[in-house]
Amino acid sequence: MIIEGTHSIAAAPAHVFDRLMEPAVLQQAIPGCDKLEKTGEDEYVAHLKLGIGSIKGSYSGKVSLSDRQPPHKFTLHMEGKGGPGFVKGTSAIELTADGRATKLHYSANVQVGGLIAAVGSRMIEAAAKKLAGEFFHKFGAIVADAGKQAR
Amino acid sequence: MKSAKSNGYIGQAIKRVEDPRLMQGRATFVDDLRLPGMLHAAVLRSPHAHATILGLKTEAAKALPGVTDVFTGAEINQACGLVPCSASMPDLKAPKHTVLAGDRVYFVGHPVAIVVAASPSIARDALDLIEVDYDPLPAVANPEKALEKESPLTHPDHGTNVAFTWLLANGDVDGLFAQADRVIKQRIVHQRLTPMAIEPRGCVASFHAGEGSLTLWTSTQIPHLVRTLLPGMIGVAENKLRIVTPEVGGGFGSKLNLYVEEAMCSHLAMRLGAPVKWIEGRRENAMATIHGRDQIGEYELAVKNDGTVLAIKARTIADLGSYLQLLTPTIPTLTGLMISGCYKLKAVRFELTGVYTNKMATDAYRGAGRPEATYALERLMDLAAAELGLDPVKMRLKNFPKPGEFPFHTVTGLAYDSGNYQRALKKAQDLASWDALLEQRDAARQAGRLFGIGLSTYVEICGLGPSKIMAAGGWEWGCVRIEISGKVTAITGTTPHGQGQETSFAQIVGDRLGVPMDDIVVLRGDTASAHFGRDTYGSRATVLGGTALLMSVDKIIAKAKILAGALLGASAKKIDFRGGKFWVKGKPKNALDWKRLAQEAYVAKNLPANFEPGLEASSFFEPKNCTYPFGTHIVAAEVERETGDVTIVKYVAVDDCGPQVNPLLVEGQLQGGIAHSLGQVLFERTVYDGDGQLLTGEFTDYSMPRARDIPEYVIGSTVTPSPSNPLGIKGVGEAGTIGANPAIANAVMDALAPLGIRHVDLPLLPEKLWRAIEEKTAELRKKKPRSQS
Amino acid sequence: MIPAAFDYLRPQTLEEAVNLLVQHGETAKLLAGGHSLIPALKLRLAQPKTVIDIGRIADLSYIREEDGRIAVGAMTTHRAIEASALLEEKCPLLPEVARHVGDVQVRNRGTLGGSLVHADPAADWPAAILALNAEVVTVGPKGPRVIAAKIFFIDLFQTALRPDEILREIRVPVTAKSVAYVKTVQRASGFAIAGVAVVVKAAAKTVSVGITGVAAKAYRATAVETKLAGQPLSAENIAAAAARAANRIEPLGDIHASAEYRAHLARLNTRRALGVAASRA
Repeated sequence: MIIEGTHSIAAAPAHVFDRLMEPAVLQQAIPGCDKLEKTGEDEYVAHLKLGIGSIKGSYSGKVSLSDRQPPHKFTLHMEGKGGPGFVKGTSAIELTADGRATKLHYSANVQVGGLIAAVGSRMIEAAAKKLAGEFFHKFGAIVADAGKQAR
Repeated sequence: MKSAKSNGYIGQAIKRVEDPRLMQGRATFVDDLRLPGMLHAAVLRSPHAHATILGLKTEAAKALPGVTDVFTGAEINQACGLVPCSASMPDLKAPKHTVLAGDRVYFVGHPVAIVVAASPSIARDALDLIEVDYDPLPAVANPEKALEKESPLTHPDHGTNVAFTWLLANGDVDGLFAQADRVIKQRIVHQRLTPMAIEPRGCVASFHAGEGSLTLWTSTQIPHLVRTLLPGMIGVAENKLRIVTPEVGGGFGSKLNLYVEEAMCSHLAMRLGAPVKWIEGRRENAMATIHGRDQIGEYELAVKNDGTVLAIKARTIADLGSYLQLLTPTIPTLTGLMISGCYKLKAVRFELTGVYTNKMATDAYRGAGRPEATYALERLMDLAAAELGLDPVKMRLKNFPKPGEFPFHTVTGLAYDSGNYQRALKKAQDLASWDALLEQRDAARQAGRLFGIGLSTYVEICGLGPSKIMAAGGWEWGCVRIEISGKVTAITGTTPHGQGQETSFAQIVGDRLGVPMDDIVVLRGDTASAHFGRDTYGSRATVLGGTALLMSVDKIIAKAKILAGALLGASAKKIDFRGGKFWVKGKPKNALDWKRLAQEAYVAKNLPANFEPGLEASSFFEPKNCTYPFGTHIVAAEVERETGDVTIVKYVAVDDCGPQVNPLLVEGQLQGGIAHSLGQVLFERTVYDGDGQLLTGEFTDYSMPRARDIPEYVIGSTVTPSPSNPLGIKGVGEAGTIGANPAIANAVMDALAPLGIRHVDLPLLPEKLWRAIEEKTAELRKKKPRSQS
Repeated sequence: MIPAAFDYLRPQTLEEAVNLLVQHGETAKLLAGGHSLIPALKLRLAQPKTVIDIGRIADLSYIREEDGRIAVGAMTTHRAIEASALLEEKCPLLPEVARHVGDVQVRNRGTLGGSLVHADPAADWPAAILALNAEVVTVGPKGPRVIAAKIFFIDLFQTALRPDEILREIRVPVTAKSVAYVKTVQRASGFAIAGVAVVVKAAAKTVSVGITGVAAKAYRATAVETKLAGQPLSAENIAAAAARAANRIEPLGDIHASAEYRAHLARLNTRRALGVAASRA
């Protein structure tokens, strides 16, 4: 399944790119992320508690980055598993300047398995977009806050 | 057969004697069984379509209070043998089908571990505590992609995803195709279906250590075949195994199998010294009980301009899933055997390739290979008629064998026992008011509506079957005994699970014995009472099981005549028997009834010399041939242009299953069979995504037909007796499903024909039809620029 | 299909229920009719520590006219709405939508309030609640709160209800008969692939259109409403307006209907629903 989206972030691409590489910022922005530890160069382990409505689950997984071309693009690999199933995906993330802001486009190839695939297929795309939306909303806020403080 | 009708039960639409207990919730299903000390099993299943198991930790699950034990493949596969498959193609590559996965899982739902606990909820809780470290591998879910060179391999050690090849060829195919005026070609997809019996599977195993014997209660269609096959898996001898099938809530072929859970529960009952119960959940049922259909065929029909069909070619891929169940490879071969349908074809070439994919195994599902044949052929017949500009009815009539040509030897090597295809077609046309229906179509089309009429003329292979064509015997067994009280017990080796044979067999036995049905009990589904049997599948039970009972009745009557003669002072030859009474010819006033004879036979004080006490007989019936029921379905359907929704406007089915023992049961079978087809044609499908994830794992996503989807049926029959058995009956369990698919699909395609739409694969979902309509409407608009104004 | 263990609490009053909710916080789930929660529990998609059954609380099931509006208790079943003579007379959209909810068994147990707070993006009720400009009344530790329908549905399975609040009542206006609900059903689940609820206010020459099943949450088709405002409801005007029913939304796609087909059905069902409602004016 391909999931795509575009978000606008109120900061320049170089700044956005750098902040996206910071585990502390990511942990704050990733919905339900209560742990994100660096395990190697561009590699992290994460623990997430995610809930959409009454459907809640804990997931643990790995995140890694590749194909880093600051400040234009990078590729994010993630795999996680939990009670309701597993998620595996690769997302190409592209940053382009849009005035003083950054237009961030992601295109993720996501594979979902187990219970959520079997009974939740109608929701997966919407849920993924919702979570991505929450992430970029929060990330945007963090970046913007930091920008304000810097000024 | 006149003497069989002394009560006149046969032919009567008698309500099922089974129904009150079922409708009042008083029937006993496997899950109703509670044995002292019984433990409960739950199975951990793979969420991955293909993965290596790097690690498996069960300690936490074992530590959960109430958990008896947890077993992995390493701990149980050695003790349980491999799951059997009856097929034997020379080039068949079969994976080792162990009860639990070894170091690799290869479909979503693959059993990985089994927990046994004090309650079902503890067992379920324990599943969440088992940690499995999977390393996902590339998976293949599409059988055509599985044949490509770069495809992931379901079984890497095979070096290919091809499981087997099979060829059925007869006649001068190439020559006839060269002579043809036209060749009709169509690629047809027979989508995968999930049987979804309302009662999922389940079993309870109990080991009796003192005797070394084991009883397995299981929701199956085939307790006798399980008793034959299970010893090879669990090491208990056949004569120490008792298999009991309580009430079964639907099978449709999905319970015509020996499943790993039956073997594991049996093994664990011995290993743990306690009865073990396992009840399948709906989601498990969707992913780990066999699926049906799943073939893709490239079909070619050689025809003359006058409508004569000459020969058929098919290149078919059958998606077997990831391993073989009991009959997995055999099912698509039935498609080949029936591919010539009702027609006098001169040559056939049916090339079949069985393919492994990372999905659940396919196997017998109502119709089992035959609906695919009928559907493909009847679509081709309609496509041919359309291309040749011929009336589809006349085209069929032109190619039918005449009634005098039976037994009709088909180009696929079968001998159709009896038939009058013309009569069934004519009757269906009459019931459908054919000419008025054509006028209705004309009027609807004039009004711009998409209205179509579809037809299918079909023949099926039933009453399976002579032992020479079956892997493990095609006979059937039955036993009848007159009890000391004069009541009658009939025991059948078939295993009715909804078909109503407690009723129809009582009708057969009651008529022949001259005993009221109320005095007859039909026992089934317990190998301790039904000593032999080949069970229920392939529309065989009434044909073969009914005959075996009839043979036993005749043996008892012959014996009773000897006893009656002795008691009445005459030789057996002088004894007349009718209506349950025996008398010396010409002296009907001095008659003896079954009650009196039974007392004499069992009290045994006045028996003639060399006369064995008792009135009991059992029989094996070995049929000489299968039976070949046939018929015609006619459907009128309308497609809504803006949505693609299909409405069935008229449904007519005429089936010829020979003489009907109970027309109510026949009609019920037809109604249910057609409902199954409505599902397949209009909306049912099992969906795996490209990675092998099952997306139709629950009723929220798997569309079953509901009562509101079922149109008013007009059901009729013709009667052409089979010479293959004394009752002349042919079987009807699958007829609806075999006849209906093409009739419904042809009606929908006929509705779309004015737009130039030739074929849409099943299921005919509204969106697919809407897209086809939009596409063609856009093309038509381009062709006629004036309509842009 | 066996739920994980949970504590079961059965408060007798709304106050008691709110207190329990405050006490247990997000580890608790309220059980109303159970037709969304119980399947999620059985699949273990939801594993709350505590289930608070509000089914025995008196007087949460009613349909009555109050101050020129109709008040429907949150625990009123779909079936009760379907059969309500008062609603048939004063707010006929609700009974019409009720007839499309699941099947008879579901309608006998499932509740309006339960469905709304679950906020399934394909449930029938949100379309009607939006089109009617309904209000929902909640009760929490700080007392009652009235929320307008248009800000109630926030996202997929997400509403403006706070974790310590309970939905108590739904208030809908009295309407004319010029309403309609046209739904394309996902035949396996009974949910909507595209469900369009329409209220035509003939006097004011306005329409309101609520659409469910098409996007991640039910929405008001404002583009349609704007186009038709002040216009006569001719077939041409309706068709032109309905063509905007999926404007500026991201339709969902799944195995039952692609995004494109959903958008098509949103437009088609809008046209049809407007036509039916207009004909009832």
